[in-house]
Amino acid sequence: MSVAVATDDRSPLTEGRSTSHGFEEFRYDDAIVRAFATVTLVWGLVAMLVGLIVAHQLTVPALNFGLDFTAFGRLRPLHTNAAIFAFAGNAVFAAVYYSTQRLCKARMWSDALSWLHFWGWQLIIVLAAVTLPLGITQSKEYAELEWPIDLLIAVVWVGFFGVNFFMTLATRRERHLYVALWFYIATIVTVALLHVFNNLVVPVGLLKSYPIYAGVQDAFMQWWYGHNAVAFFLTTPFLGLMYYFLPKAANRPVYSYRLSIIHFWSIVFIYIWAGPHHLHYTAIPEWCSTLGMLFSVMLWMPSWGGMINGLLTLRGAWRSVTADPVLKFFVVGITFYGMATFEGPLLSVKSVNALSHYTDWTIAHVHSGALGWNGMMTFGMLYWLLPRIYQTKLWSQRLAEWHFWVGTIGILLYIVPIYVAGLTQGLMWRAIDARGQLMYPDFVETVRVLAPLYWLRIGGGLLFFVGTGMLGVNFLMTWLSRPKTYEDPVYSAPVLSRDFVDPPMPQSKLDGVLDVAKKLDVWETFHWHRRWERLPIRFTVWVAIAVVVASLFEMIPTFLIRSNVPTIASVKPYTPLELAGRDLYIANGCYNCHSQMIRPILAETKRYGEFSKPGEFVYDHPFQWGSRRIGPDLAREGGRQSSLWHVVHFRNPTQLIPGSIMPAYPSFEQTELNFKSIQDRVNAAAFLGAPYGEELTRAEEMAKEQAAEIAAEIEKQQGPSGLGDKQVVALVAYLQRLGVDLMTPATPPASEQSAVTQPLAMDR
Amino acid sequence: MSAEGEGHTVHTYDGIQEYDNPLPGWWTALFWGTIVFSLLYWLYFHFGVPGRSTLDGYQAAVAENLRLQFAELGELQPTRETLLKYKDDPKWLPVGESVYKTNCVSCHGTAGEGKVGPNLCDDNWKNVKVIEDIAKVIGQGAGGRAMPAWANRLHPNELVLVSAYVASLRGTNPPPPVRPAEGPAIFPWE
Repeated sequence: MSVAVATDDRSPLTEGRSTSHGFEEFRYDDAIVRAFATVTLVWGLVAMLVGLIVAHQLTVPALNFGLDFTAFGRLRPLHTNAAIFAFAGNAVFAAVYYSTQRLCKARMWSDALSWLHFWGWQLIIVLAAVTLPLGITQSKEYAELEWPIDLLIAVVWVGFFGVNFFMTLATRRERHLYVALWFYIATIVTVALLHVFNNLVVPVGLLKSYPIYAGVQDAFMQWWYGHNAVAFFLTTPFLGLMYYFLPKAANRPVYSYRLSIIHFWSIVFIYIWAGPHHLHYTAIPEWCSTLGMLFSVMLWMPSWGGMINGLLTLRGAWRSVTADPVLKFFVVGITFYGMATFEGPLLSVKSVNALSHYTDWTIAHVHSGALGWNGMMTFGMLYWLLPRIYQTKLWSQRLAEWHFWVGTIGILLYIVPIYVAGLTQGLMWRAIDARGQLMYPDFVETVRVLAPLYWLRIGGGLLFFVGTGMLGVNFLMTWLSRPKTYEDPVYSAPVLSRDFVDPPMPQSKLDGVLDVAKKLDVWETFHWHRRWERLPIRFTVWVAIAVVVASLFEMIPTFLIRSNVPTIASVKPYTPLELAGRDLYIANGCYNCHSQMIRPILAETKRYGEFSKPGEFVYDHPFQWGSRRIGPDLAREGGRQSSLWHVVHFRNPTQLIPGSIMPAYPSFEQTELNFKSIQDRVNAAAFLGAPYGEELTRAEEMAKEQAAEIAAEIEKQQGPSGLGDKQVVALVAYLQRLGVDLMTPATPPASEQSAVTQPLAMDR
Repeated sequence: MSAEGEGHTVHTYDGIQEYDNPLPGWWTALFWGTIVFSLLYWLYFHFGVPGRSTLDGYQAAVAENLRLQFAELGELQPTRETLLKYKDDPKWLPVGESVYKTNCVSCHGTAGEGKVGPNLCDDNWKNVKVIEDIAKVIGQGAGGRAMPAWANRLHPNELVLVSAYVASLRGTNPPPPVRPAEGPAIFPWE
C-alpha cells in the first residue's frame, strides 16, 4: 500500500492564516462509486429499451399488445422515470461519491449510509418498475410514484444521501468548497423541497392518493416541480459533474472562478420561477405565465455561463479532444447543454409556445437535453472513471470512439425528425384557410403524416441504444481485467484548524471615485464569497433562501388571491361513478396522450370548443391538463360522442378512426369495476372539499345506479349488454362529464355569467 | 499561465486549478439585455392597458374569424329554403364540410358512410323526413343520447352549413365498408 499525500495546499501561505496542526490518514471509498457506475449502465440500457418500445408503439399500435400494463400510457412514465431517476440519478450519485471525497479530502462520512443510499435507491427503482405498469400512479409527470414510495424517496434522499453528504462536508480536510460542491448542495436541498411539496397527498388506501391541491394550483405545483426537476436533478448536478471531471480529464484550469459564482447564484435564483412556462395559455393566471416566460428568458445567460466555463476550459487543449473520447463526449454534451438552454428560453416565449406546446417539439427538446447533455456527460464520466475505479486500462479506446460517433449520430437522427414532427403538428393544428376554416379539421390527419418521422426517430434511438451497448461491452471487459484485489491507498492531509483567519479585505485601487464605486470594486473581487465557501452551513442556508424566496413570490399569490380561480356556480363535483372512472383514466395514463386544456387560441377553440376556465377544475385532484396531444384534447369530450361510440372505440380505435394510434383497451369491457373502493374515494374527495351530500353514505349504490343507466343506454344504442358492472361504464361516465358543466343549460345565477365571460380578466 | 494574460486564482482542489478570467463582455451585455427586456415586457403587458391581454387577443381573433366566415352571410336560419340553397353552394359548402370533419367523422365516417352513427349517403333516414329535420337532429340530438346535441357547441351559421353539407351527402357513393340502410326511405330533398 502506498501512502500519498493529497496536499498541494498553497492556501496557508497565500490565503488566510491558521496555525499548524496534525495530519490525518484516510482512504477513499471507491466501492460505492463502482456500484453506482454499474447500475448507471444497467438502468440506462433499461430506460433506453423501454424508450424504444414506446417509440415503436407510436408507429405500430398493435405493439401495445392489448394489455393494460403494456400500453403506451403505462410504459411512457416508466421510460421517463427510468431515464431521469435511474440512469441520470445513479450517474449523479457516482459523480458525487467520487468527486466529493476527493474535493473534501475525506472519505464519505458513513459507509453504512452510502450503502443504504445505494440499495434504497435501487429498491425505489424496482418499485417504480413494478407499480407504474400496474397503473399505480399519481399521474403527475416525473412524480408518478405513489405516496409510500414517495416517503421512501424522502428518507433515502434526505436521511441517507443528504446526511451523508453534509456530514462529509462537515468532516472535510479542504478548507474551501469547490464549485462542483456548490452545485451538489443546491441539488440536494432543492430536490428535497420540490419532492416534498409536490407530493403532499391524502391517501386513499396504500396504493392510491389524491393531491391536496386541485386544478390550477395542482398544475402550478406540478410544473414548479417538473421544471425544477429538470433544473436541479438534470442540470445542477451535471454542472457539478462537469466542473470536476472536465478539468480533470483535460488537465486544464477552469476558465473563470467569478463566472462560476455568478452563473451558480443566478441559476439557483432564477430557475425556480420558470415553471409556469409549461402552462402558457392555460387556465393559470396571466401574470404567473408572464413571470414564467420572463425568468426563462433571463435564465439564458446564467445557463450559458456553465457552457462557457466548460468549453473555454478546453482552450489550449483542443488537440487532446481529437485524441481522447472522454473529452469528445464532454464537448458534445456541453454543446447540447448550450443548445437546449437556448431552446428552453425560446420555447418559453408565449407566442413560440403557442405553436410548440402539446407537440413533439417538446419531445425533441427534452431528448437533446437528456441524450445530448445528460447522456454524453455520463458516458464521458464513465469512460474516465472506468480505468480509475477498476484500476486497469480501459479495455478498448477504439470502441469508446465508436460509441461516441454512433451515439452522436443517433441523437441527431432522433431529434431532427422529431423537430420536424413537432413543427408539422403545430402548423397543421393551427392552419386556417382563407374562409376561416380549419385546414385539417380531422385530428387523425395530423397523426398519419407523422408515421415516417416516427420511424426515423426509432432509427436514431436504436443507434443511441447500440452505442450504450458498446459502453456495456467496454465496461464488462474492463471489469474483467481488474486486479485481484484493489489497491486502497492511504492519503493524508492536515486537519482543518478552527482558528482560520480570512485574508484581509482587498483595497480598491480606484482613485478619485465615489465611495460606492470603491465598495463595488472591492465587492467584485468576491472576497466575501470566498469566505462563504469555507462555511458550508451558511452557504446552504443562502441556497435554501434563494430557492424558497423565489418560490414563494409565485406561490403565495397563486394560492391566496381568490380572483386567480373565479368560481363557476354550475361546476359540481364528480359523481361517485365518474370519480371511479377518473381514477381509471389516471391509472391508464391517458394524460400521456390527451390534454384536457383548451387554450384561448382560435384554431383550438374551433377544433375543441370553448376554451377552459380556471373554475372548471376546482374538484380535479390531481389536474389532468396533460402536456402532449398524441391524441386530441378531451376537455370538452362530454356529450360529443354517444356512449356506445366510446365502448366501440375503446375496444378497437381503428375501427372508428382509421389511422388512429391509440392502444386498444378490450379489457375495459371485461374487467369488473371495483365498486367497493368507491366510498373511500368519495370520502377522500369530500375531505379535500367536494361538497357531497348523500354520496357520503351511499356512494357505492349511487355508482351502481348510474352504471346501470349507462349500461342501459349503451344497450339501447344497439351496443353490448351486461356492461353495468364493468370498468368501461365508469370511464364512459367520466368522459361524458368532461367539460359539460360550463355548458349546462340550467338557468345560471348572475355571478356565474360574469365568471364565464371574464375568466382571464384576473390580473387587472 | 500569466503568459496568456489571465487572472489566476490560487485555488487548487484535488489538482484542479481555477483561472479568474473576467466575464465575457457579450455575456454580461446579453444578461443585462434579458433583464431590461423583461422589465419592459412586464410594463407593456401588465399595466392595465386594455387590448394587450391573452383574452383580448383571442376575442379579437374570434371576431375577425366570424367576420371572415359570416360577414357576407348574415345570420342564417335553418329553414327549408336556406338549406336547399346552401346544399348546392360551392362557395359555402366547404365551411359545412369543415365543421363535419371536425365533429362528425368519428361516428358517421369521412364520406358519410356510417360507422357507429347511421349512413348519410343513402335514402333511408331514422329521424329525418324533410331537409330541415337535419338541422333539428344536429341541434338537439336524437335517439336518447345516441346522437349528441350540438346547438350550444356550434355557431348558428355553422349548424346551418353543416346541415346543408349533410344533406348534400345523400346520393353520393362512399367507398365500402358502408353501414346498411336504417329507417324508412324518404322523399328527395325539396
